[in-house]
Amino acid sequence: MSIDQVNPAPAGDDARRQPRIDVDRHSTVWRTEFRTLSDDLPANAPIAWNETYGGYWMVTGNKEVFDIVRRADVLSNDNDIHFERNGYDGIQIPPPPREQRVVRGGILEMDPPEQRYYRNVMNPYLSPAAVARWQPVMDELVRACLDDHIESGRIDFVDDLANIVPAVLTMAMLGLPLEDWVVYCEPSHATVYTHPDSPEIVRVRELQNQMGMRAMQSIAQLRTDPRPGLIDGLIKADISGHSPDDMEVLSQVTLLIGGGFDTTTALTAHALEWLSENPDQRERLVREWEELRDSATEEFLRYYTPAPGDGRTFSADVEIDGKQFKEGERLWVGWATSNRDPGLFEDPHEIKLDRKGNRHSSFGLGIHRCIGSNVARATFKTMLKGALDRMPDFVCDPAGAVHYDTTGTINGMKHLPATFTPGKRLGPGVTETVAGLQRIVDEQRLAEPVTARKQARLTD
Amino acid sequence: MKVSVDSNVCQGHTLCAMTAPDLFVLSDEDGHASAVGGDVPPNREAAAREAARTCPEQAVVLS
Repeated sequence: MSIDQVNPAPAGDDARRQPRIDVDRHSTVWRTEFRTLSDDLPANAPIAWNETYGGYWMVTGNKEVFDIVRRADVLSNDNDIHFERNGYDGIQIPPPPREQRVVRGGILEMDPPEQRYYRNVMNPYLSPAAVARWQPVMDELVRACLDDHIESGRIDFVDDLANIVPAVLTMAMLGLPLEDWVVYCEPSHATVYTHPDSPEIVRVRELQNQMGMRAMQSIAQLRTDPRPGLIDGLIKADISGHSPDDMEVLSQVTLLIGGGFDTTTALTAHALEWLSENPDQRERLVREWEELRDSATEEFLRYYTPAPGDGRTFSADVEIDGKQFKEGERLWVGWATSNRDPGLFEDPHEIKLDRKGNRHSSFGLGIHRCIGSNVARATFKTMLKGALDRMPDFVCDPAGAVHYDTTGTINGMKHLPATFTPGKRLGPGVTETVAGLQRIVDEQRLAEPVTARKQARLTD
Repeated sequence: MKVSVDSNVCQGHTLCAMTAPDLFVLSDEDGHASAVGGDVPPNREAAAREAARTCPEQAVVLS
């Protein structure tokens, strides 16, 4: 008996897993060479076997992404941290070590029908109609962030604006104390940009632990002393006859915070940096804001794709687009490369504020479409408009701008300092404003689901 | 021209309503789209085509 007969799989797999590439998405090359890679991979290897991280399928072409990722019947997002089902590894490639996985990433690491039950609970807090009710709160938060710096003529658009607004708003929507945003903010970003081998990781893990403990305390408190918000909805949810325990609630909270903070920050920082570098386009956006607001937002989403891709696991043997996939094989879906496909986007490497037919997939495709997409768009537009209105001549300092070293998880920025002609304060700063908003959120029960309260109410 | 949304395919991206707010309505509860209904006015056919082209899930059906 030859070796091939004893174990024929490798030869068969080798033949099937073609073409082969060797691209480390967590190296700096994926960021620095992204333009070349996003020209090359979708054109020449739209579905390829990437030999890094134990080997996985990497799909980068727009058509192939569309054809494969919507096949929820043969794909799993499950992160089976306790080996209760098929032992799949969730949406990260490589996945974190098992001993570090405390909870899975909410609905993004679940499959239907469980995923759908939870999603139905959370949708009425995050739908376009639900989010529209928060517009006065977003306006007030942006005003306060800008007021803290307007008189000085200097601001860091990441630290002083784009980190704060999504964080405070998320606290409010969850039903957590607004002032707790500081507990959640830094670890949510630092976890993404800190390399596991960096000495900083010890402090980041400590901050992460504090964040997790604070969330668990708050969930326990909300059980005994209910307040409206997503957490209240999750606590009271009927998930097919089962009531989520604290860890299951924490799993969704972790996703909403992890998914909501760093992505929106990344998009806002990149857009502001580009507008600083393209003053003629900035003038045009200001002049034609009503006309361009939506198309410009979708274009920044396409071009900067905050989450460049997500992992899946094949849950069955299947053939799609002429490739044979086997149950258990990992797949990574490249939203960012798909968003540069010249077949779908004319001049894909150019930002066109009035782009039409912008069929980008920055919020994903299929049943796992980003549940926070409406919040992201609204907070982004509010922050952008605030900066353009009140700091119209801002200039970002390229020497002080810090991009993430790698973009394997999020295409983000750590800092984006800018200078501008000082202006007048309009009201109190962030600390006082957050305290005032807390009273309004409580008194007016702003965090109720849209099914309970449809109308926006003005803040006082 | 008639326009409709395949509710089995729509995932609530909302781009159709952003492109043609007079032709599509979004559910309050989950943001999934449906067509307002009836014939598309001739002067809105281009907008309907644009909405169909923009839909990430290709859920907008023209007939």
